[in-house]
Amino acid sequence: MHRVFNDLGLAVLVVVAMAVAPSIYSNQLLLFNFVMFLSLAQGLNVIYGFTGYLPFGYVGFFGAGAYGFALAVMHLGFGPPGAMAVGAAAAVVLALILTPLFRLSGAYFAIANLAAAQAVYEVVANPALEDVTKGPYGVSLSGVFAPNASYAAAVAILAFTLLLVVWLRNSQFGLSLRAIKEDPISAAMAGVSVVRGRTIAWLLSALIAGLVGGSFAWEVSVFYPETAFSPQFSIFAVVFALFGGTATLTGPLLGVFILYGVYNWIGISVPQYFQLIYGTLIVALVLFLPNGLVSLLTRRGIRVP
Amino acid sequence: MLRRSVVVIAALASILFVPARVEAQTAPAEIRIGHPYAGSGPYASISMPVYLGLKLWVDRTNEAGGAFVKPFNKKIPLKLIAYDDQSSTATAATLVNQLITQDHVDMLVSDSGSVLTSVAVPIARDHKQLLFNPTGTGAAFFTKDNPYVVLLADPASTVWPKYISELLGNSAKTAGIKRVALLYATNDFTGTQASTIRNYIKAHADTGLELVYDQGVPTATSNYTVLINNVAATNPDAVVALGYVGNDIAFLRNLQDSGQKFPFLFMIYPGVEKEELLKNVGATGMEGVFTYAMSTEIEYKPNFGMTAAEYKKAWHDTYPDGKYEFGFNAIAGYTVGLVLERTLATTESLDQLALRAAVQGLSGKLTTLDGPFEVDAETGAQLGEITPVGQLRAGGKMEAVWPLDLANGKPTFGKK
Amino acid sequence: MLIGALLSGLVFGLYFTLVGLGLNLVFGVMRIVNLAHGDFLMLGAFAAYWMFALFGLHPLYAALAVLVVFVVLGLPIYYLIVPRLQMARDAEMLSIILFFGLSQMIEAVTSIAFGTTERSIPGRVLGTGPVTILGQRLPSAWVFGAAVSAIAVACVYLYLYRTRLGSLTRAVMVSRDEALATGIDVHRVSALAFGIGIALAGIAGVFAPFMLGSVTPALGPEINVAAFAVIVVGTLGNPLGTVLGGIIYGVGLMLMQTYFSSWANILPNLLLIAVLLFRPEGLLGRATRRA
Repeated sequence: MHRVFNDLGLAVLVVVAMAVAPSIYSNQLLLFNFVMFLSLAQGLNVIYGFTGYLPFGYVGFFGAGAYGFALAVMHLGFGPPGAMAVGAAAAVVLALILTPLFRLSGAYFAIANLAAAQAVYEVVANPALEDVTKGPYGVSLSGVFAPNASYAAAVAILAFTLLLVVWLRNSQFGLSLRAIKEDPISAAMAGVSVVRGRTIAWLLSALIAGLVGGSFAWEVSVFYPETAFSPQFSIFAVVFALFGGTATLTGPLLGVFILYGVYNWIGISVPQYFQLIYGTLIVALVLFLPNGLVSLLTRRGIRVP
Repeated sequence: MLRRSVVVIAALASILFVPARVEAQTAPAEIRIGHPYAGSGPYASISMPVYLGLKLWVDRTNEAGGAFVKPFNKKIPLKLIAYDDQSSTATAATLVNQLITQDHVDMLVSDSGSVLTSVAVPIARDHKQLLFNPTGTGAAFFTKDNPYVVLLADPASTVWPKYISELLGNSAKTAGIKRVALLYATNDFTGTQASTIRNYIKAHADTGLELVYDQGVPTATSNYTVLINNVAATNPDAVVALGYVGNDIAFLRNLQDSGQKFPFLFMIYPGVEKEELLKNVGATGMEGVFTYAMSTEIEYKPNFGMTAAEYKKAWHDTYPDGKYEFGFNAIAGYTVGLVLERTLATTESLDQLALRAAVQGLSGKLTTLDGPFEVDAETGAQLGEITPVGQLRAGGKMEAVWPLDLANGKPTFGKK
Repeated sequence: MLIGALLSGLVFGLYFTLVGLGLNLVFGVMRIVNLAHGDFLMLGAFAAYWMFALFGLHPLYAALAVLVVFVVLGLPIYYLIVPRLQMARDAEMLSIILFFGLSQMIEAVTSIAFGTTERSIPGRVLGTGPVTILGQRLPSAWVFGAAVSAIAVACVYLYLYRTRLGSLTRAVMVSRDEALATGIDVHRVSALAFGIGIALAGIAGVFAPFMLGSVTPALGPEINVAAFAVIVVGTLGNPLGTVLGGIIYGVGLMLMQTYFSSWANILPNLLLIAVLLFRPEGLLGRATRRA
C-alpha cells in the first residue's frame, strides 16, 4: 500500500503543480506543451515501458485525435468535450486497425508504425478529401478557441494518464504485462493472455495520445496536417520517456521537465546553435545514460515511484 | 455560452489592465521586435532570407541612430529578438508566446510561410498583440473579426494568380492557347492558387479555355520525368506547374532533360527566387517560362527605403558568402522592416491597435521596393504588392508581359 | 504512358537501390537503425557540389573521393558510438534515438556552414539531352545514377560472397552471438560494414542533385522513409533483395504518379507495412522477423 501512496502522491503533486503554474508563469502555451509532453511521454511509457514495443509513429494517434476533434467541431457541430471524445475514439480505432503490427518485433514494429503514421498523414492531407478534412489547406477552429479551458482539459488528461500509470504499476494487470515483456513464452505458459494484455496496453496508449491530440487541436485551433502529424511529437515523447527511464512514473516526468526545459532554454538563449546542441545532448544521453535517469537510483537498489 | 463568457472575461481583463498599458511619457530605451525564424528544416530556405532581410534593416536603422518613434518624438534604437523554431510549428507556437508574454516585444513579426504563421495567428489574437505577418498568405488567417494580423510583403494566395489567370484568358482569345494542364503541389500556398486558376478557367469556358489535366502531387515530389510525360500526353497548349522552390527546380531540370517543350509554361519560383533558380537550372532551361514578375524584376519607384537594385547590393555586401540567395524572400524581410519603420513614425502610441491603425494609415500611401502597399482595412490581408506576369528571356532577363499597364514586353509562345 | 512509367520506374528504382543499400548493410550487420542515413547521403551531395563548384570535379571522381573519405570517417564514428550503444539493454530501440540526435547534429552543422539555399550541379555534366530507351526518353543523369547503383550492388555482392571479410560479415549478420563465440572479431567486421554503409549513402548523395533536382541540408528525413521502404521490401542482408525493393519502389511510385498522382507518397508507407505484415522476411528472405 505504501508504494501506491508514493506513486499517487507524486501524480497529485505534478497535476497540482501544472494546474497552478499559469498563475505564476505567463507563457501559458509553453506550460501547455509541458503538460502535453508529460502526457505523451507517459502514454508512450504505457506501451513501451510495460510491453517493450516502441511505436515510433506515436504521432499517428495524436494526429488522429487532433483531426477527430477538428472534424467533430466542423461537421458535427460538437462542443469541445464531445469533440475530444470523437478524437479519442478516432485514435483508438486507428490502434485497433494497427493491432496486426504486433506480429512484428523490435525495429520492424517501430518502423512499420512510423510508416502507418505517415500513411494516415498522407490520407488526411490529400486534396481529394478536401471536403472532409480540408486536405492540405488546414483547419481553423477559431469558434471554439479558449486557451484557458483547453489548458484545463490538458491538465485533466494528464491526471487521467498519471492515474493510469499508477494503476499499471501497482495492479495485477500491470504485473502480467511486465511478465510478458520479460518472457512472453513463460508468461503464456503461466496462463497470462499475451495478446489480450498487449492489446489493452496498446489501446490505452493510443487513447492517451488521442486525447492529448484533441486538446492540442483545441489549444492551437488553426493548424495544418503537417502540424498535427509532425514527427517531432513522436520523437520527443520517445526521447523524454527514455531519458527519464521507462516503466516508472518518475522517469518520463523527469525526462519532460529536464529535457524539454533544456530544449526551451537553449532555444531562447542560444537560438543559432539550437539544433546542434540539442542533437549533441541526445547522443550523449543515449551513450552515457542508456537506461534512463532513474537507473542511477534503481541501480543502487532504491525504489523509484 | 463558453465563447461569450470568454469574450466577457477578455473584456473585463482589458479594462483591468488598461491603466498599465497607458504609455509612460518617458521613452523606452529600445523598441523590441520579436521574430521566430526557421534556421533548419524544410522551411529554412524560405525563412532565413526573410529573417536576414529584417536583420539587415534593423542593423542599418540602428547605425543611423534608431527608428523615429512618433509618440516620443525621437529616434530609439531597435532590438531584434529572434528565435529559431527549426521549422517546427509546436516550437514556433511556444516561441511566439515567449516573445509576447516574457520578452514583451513591442512589435511581433511572425515566421515566413503559411504553415509556421498559422500557429501564431490565434496566439497573437488571444494576447491582443498585432501580428506583423511577412508572407503567411493562407486565406483563413484574415477574417473581419480579427484586427490583430496584417499581411505585409505579398498578397493573399487567392490574389496571386489574378494576372496569370487573365493572361490565360487573353491568350486563349488571341493566340489559341486553350488546352490547359494544371499540375500543383498539394499545400496551402500552391493548392489555393491552383483552385483560383481552375475556377477562372471554368468560368471562362466561353473563351475556349479547357482543363485537360488537373492533378495534385505531394509537395515532397522531386522527380517529374513521368509527370511531364503524362502531361505531354494530354497535348496541352499551356502548362501551369505550381510548386515550391525545390519542386520548380526539379520540374525544370527534368523538362530540360526530357527534351519536351510546351508552348506556354507558367511556374511560380523562376520569378520569385530567380537567382536561386538560375543557379540550379540555368538560363537556357528557363527561357520562355512565364512566371510572377516580382519586385526583384519590376523597378518600383519606392517613396521610402532603398530601391531593389540598391537593396540587392546591400544584401550582397552584408551576406557575401552566397549561403543565402537574394530573391523575393530577401526583399520581403526588408519590406517588413520598412513597414515597421513607417508604422513607428506615424503611430499615436505603441498600443497594438494604435499600431494597426498606423499600418492602415500607410495603405495606399507607402510604396516600397516591393511595390505599392495596400492593406484591406477589414481583414488585414495585403491587396497591393501585386504579382504581374513576366516572361523569361535569354540570359535570365525578364520582361513583364501582363497586365498591359505594367508590361514592358509582349508574351511570346513556343511552337506546339 | 504505361511503358514510360514502367521504364522510368525501373531506372529511378535502381537509383533508390543505392539509396537503401548502405542502410541495409548497417542494420543487417549491427541491428542498429541508422536514422542519420539520409543525412550522410546529404553530406555526400554537398561534398559533390563543392568539389564541382570549386574544382570542377566530375561527379564520378567525386564519388570515388566520397567512398574513400566516408569509409575512413565511418571507422572512428563506429568505435565512438556503436560498441557503447550495444551494451545497453535495448540497443535496437536506443539506436533510433541516438542516430536521430546524430542526424540533428549533421543537419545543424551543414546549415550553419553552407546555408539553407537549394544546391545542385548542372545536368550537362552528366550528358546533355535525353537517352532514348525502347522509345522512351529518360534523363541521362538517371541512367548514370542507375548504372552507378548497379556497379555498387555488384561490388557489395562480391564483397559479401567472394571475400573472407565478406563471409565473416555474413556470419555476423546471421548471428552476432555465434560469431563472437567462434572468435570472429565482430567489431572489426562491423566497423568496416558501417564505413561501407555510410560511404554507399554518400555515393548515392553524389547523384542526388541530379536525381532529386536539388538538395538542402534538410534532405535527410524524407530520404530515410524511402530507404526504409526499399530495404524492408527487399530483404535484409541481401543486396539483391535491395535491388528488388528499389525497383518495386521506383515502378510503384511512377505508376502512382501516373494514375493517382496526389497519393504518390502514401505508396512507400503502404508497401512497407504490407510487406512486413504479409511477408515479414522480405520478398527474397527466409522467415526470421516475427516476434
